[in-house]
Amino acid sequence: MNIDLGATLVALMTFFGIAALMALSLNLEYGIAGVPNFGQAVFVSIGAYTTAITYTRLLPLLAGKEVIWPCGPTLGPALQLRSEIMRSYPGAGFLNLAITLVIAALVSGLVGYFVSRIALRLQQEWFLALVLLVGGETVRIFVRSYEPVICANNGVSGVAQPFAWLGNPQLSSILFMLLVLSVAALTWVYCERLVRSPFGRLLKALRENAAVTRSLGKDVALARARVMLIGSVIAAIAGVFFVLNTGYISSNDFVVTLTLDIWVMVVLGGLGNNRGALLGALVITILDRLTAIATIQMNMSAIDLEFNYVRYILYGIILLLMLRYRPQGILPEPARTTNAHDLLTDPAPHVADS
Amino acid sequence: MLQIRDLTRSFGGLRAVDGVSFDVGDGQVTGLIGPNGSGKSTLLNLIAGQLHPDTGSIHFGGQDITRSSPDAINRLGLARGYQDPALFFQMSVLDNTLLPAREQLGESPWHAPWHARWRGQEQHNAARADTLLERLQLRDLFDRRASDLSGGQMKLLDIGRSLSGEPSMLLLDEPTAGVAPKLAREIFQHIATLNREAALSFLIVEHRLDILFDFVDQVIVLHMGKVLAAGKPDDIVKDVRVREVYFGL
Repeated sequence: MNIDLGATLVALMTFFGIAALMALSLNLEYGIAGVPNFGQAVFVSIGAYTTAITYTRLLPLLAGKEVIWPCGPTLGPALQLRSEIMRSYPGAGFLNLAITLVIAALVSGLVGYFVSRIALRLQQEWFLALVLLVGGETVRIFVRSYEPVICANNGVSGVAQPFAWLGNPQLSSILFMLLVLSVAALTWVYCERLVRSPFGRLLKALRENAAVTRSLGKDVALARARVMLIGSVIAAIAGVFFVLNTGYISSNDFVVTLTLDIWVMVVLGGLGNNRGALLGALVITILDRLTAIATIQMNMSAIDLEFNYVRYILYGIILLLMLRYRPQGILPEPARTTNAHDLLTDPAPHVADS
Repeated sequence: MLQIRDLTRSFGGLRAVDGVSFDVGDGQVTGLIGPNGSGKSTLLNLIAGQLHPDTGSIHFGGQDITRSSPDAINRLGLARGYQDPALFFQMSVLDNTLLPAREQLGESPWHAPWHARWRGQEQHNAARADTLLERLQLRDLFDRRASDLSGGQMKLLDIGRSLSGEPSMLLLDEPTAGVAPKLAREIFQHIATLNREAALSFLIVEHRLDILFDFVDQVIVLHMGKVLAAGKPDDIVKDVRVREVYFGL
């Protein structure tokens, strides 16, 4: 089999950018703040379903066309219409993407905020984990059987990425990769700044001992809801890019295994360390792509082994080995938070009390 | 400063705190003593808001805090320390001390990413933490993880952390438990200094009566959830009932 190295690298880096967003989101929620989000797939899927709705309802309006019902007998014409618009109306495509990102972020952020506020008020954080785990599957099964969102089992295809109008697949995928990587880089800077601030210190404190943090005068429930809001926004943005990258939206992509993939990235890289989350995302993306390529190779060689599942065996082994031998991850969390430490390290006389 | 009236709290059939009333005045150091199981820790948890009483009332600084949450009580200026130092062990000594500082702009996620907005406040808080750590002889350890400290240093950091929120009163649960006698006396000397210089009031649960009695203004003796005696240390030592239940004499 011939492998186009350049195209593989572009695909790999695009996947990495999306995985990085998901890992940074979970690292903020669980790695830093200790809120165990077992429903990360839901927040990613909110981005995906929002994309499905805007591409089928909003995009034609932005291009001045009439909306065609995307499912059932009009599925074909609707698909043709949005492909046509993405080829010929770049302005409408970009505007549609911008609106999609805003709506996805808003919906996901609000869901994350309110679910955690309610669940954490009732019980401890592991109750929230269960609510999200079960809620995620419920949402997926609902969407799979409720036609208006993504045409139920059929899914929505023809969700072209915003540079498709260039007519040069190579160039447009490079540009899309750059867009995804830029968003991931900005998110990383944002997360780093959050962690190295008094807000990061508060999150780390409540991760270690929420009761004591509360008795020191901090509104623990609010801080947790806020971090869930931020994490959910990032996850939804990842979800939008995820479906634009594959060009197809199906509820089957947002099963519990997606959540587990993200957990493996964060545990492998180092809980509480944003660089670790990026490293974990990179390693898992490479493994994911390699096993995908191996699967295709083996299928073509008519070897009777579904190599795709070897991925999950590998993830399981990685998780077990990390928890046993290096629970802090490849890159452990630094002890300091803000730059206040530099002030005290300064050999000059102590900072004057103003 | 702190008024407790007819406070009762039961666990199943057990009345852990049974009609307790007493006051702690402004700038007073009060010792709370009693045999194991007499209700001292329950009482502390009730005052700090970790438990709520069945009946009775608690007022702090004129405000009713009977049913307030622990964070609201702390924000009013009533802080607590823990018997087993409940530090943030993965965090540095300095971060432990900085966390309780009040009204931190950088604790809001909207301001947090913009360092310039909270840097000045953080520097101010760091300077205060610096002075506080210096006073507790922890200055040189500011960069260590709290888990690397010795037992005595952890006790001191626990007190230091409570102080960093600038409370007007501190509840301490056995501040010298598991600490060498010399350090135990030093801890109480720190308490006395804070009381004198910062006009802090204290309510201290303590078993080391020899040290405690040298530093407190009044002593409350609990027995089976009730106040058995209350008064100046000298009077308490002479009280026959206290001698019977507490000293077994």
